[in-house]
Amino acid sequence: MAGHSEEHTVHAHGEHSHSDRFYWIVAGVLAVVTALEVGLFIVNEQHLIAKWLEVTLLLILSTIKGAAVVMFFMHLKGDAGIFKFVFLVPLAFATTLLLSFMVLFSDHVGIGG
Amino acid sequence: MSESSMTRPHTTVAHHTSLGVDNRKLGVWAFIGSETLFFATLITTYFVFAPVNRARPDFQDPRKFLDIELTTVLASILLASSLTMVLALSASKRGDRRNFTIWLLATVGLGPTFFVLTGFHGTHVAIGVIWLLSVFFKVRAYPNSPENAMDVEIAGLYWHFVDLVWVAIFVLVYLI
Repeated sequence: MAGHSEEHTVHAHGEHSHSDRFYWIVAGVLAVVTALEVGLFIVNEQHLIAKWLEVTLLLILSTIKGAAVVMFFMHLKGDAGIFKFVFLVPLAFATTLLLSFMVLFSDHVGIGG
Repeated sequence: MSESSMTRPHTTVAHHTSLGVDNRKLGVWAFIGSETLFFATLITTYFVFAPVNRARPDFQDPRKFLDIELTTVLASILLASSLTMVLALSASKRGDRRNFTIWLLATVGLGPTFFVLTGFHGTHVAIGVIWLLSVFFKVRAYPNSPENAMDVEIAGLYWHFVDLVWVAIFVLVYLI
């Protein structure tokens, strides 16, 4: 691994990069979180915990995975603010869109019931 | 000059804007932002119509069409390809041609596993594979020149986004 002993380097324009070892560690964490997701899904086929709790836990785990990919593999953490702006604003719109339609078309309060 | 320290002569540090960032990288991030909305509308449509579809006599359950074991393997492959992509970028930035070649081609190799299985997402993977191969052939001689390193970085951004979309599809469609 040609010589990167430091975990974390800051370049010009606020760009951050890490050692290869750090990327392997992140990948390991992603693999563990994926295993947890699948394990939770399989275990709860016996309905051991409430569905809402399973869904909440799955969403938290997938958010951790997505954040790790964006922050460390895509280097958004520590990068220029304009990159964060052009990605996070549409992401916020997308999340709002998804949640709004889910509520709107839900069986309980929306028009889908 | 060793292979691991080759830098292209007469390199140019082009494409910087008044914002102080590379305009191609900014363009790719803006594109990824728009793609986030694109996929969100598709996933939202899937959820809105899911109860209607489930009631149809010809309904195909995605969990039976692609079972959880196979989907988990596919998710792992795509996550692994994000690792190989970032390792290729890391090798590119330090001018390590050998590792750059290994990791970028490993990323290209992991991509087609997805191609036939996920439709719209598969198309994005296919585009990503073509993009990565184009970058590989363009920059392989001098992967750590500033211009070429940026080529690898922005292709990598797109590839990680393709992975990111699957993180969402995996949990929203297959697990929930």
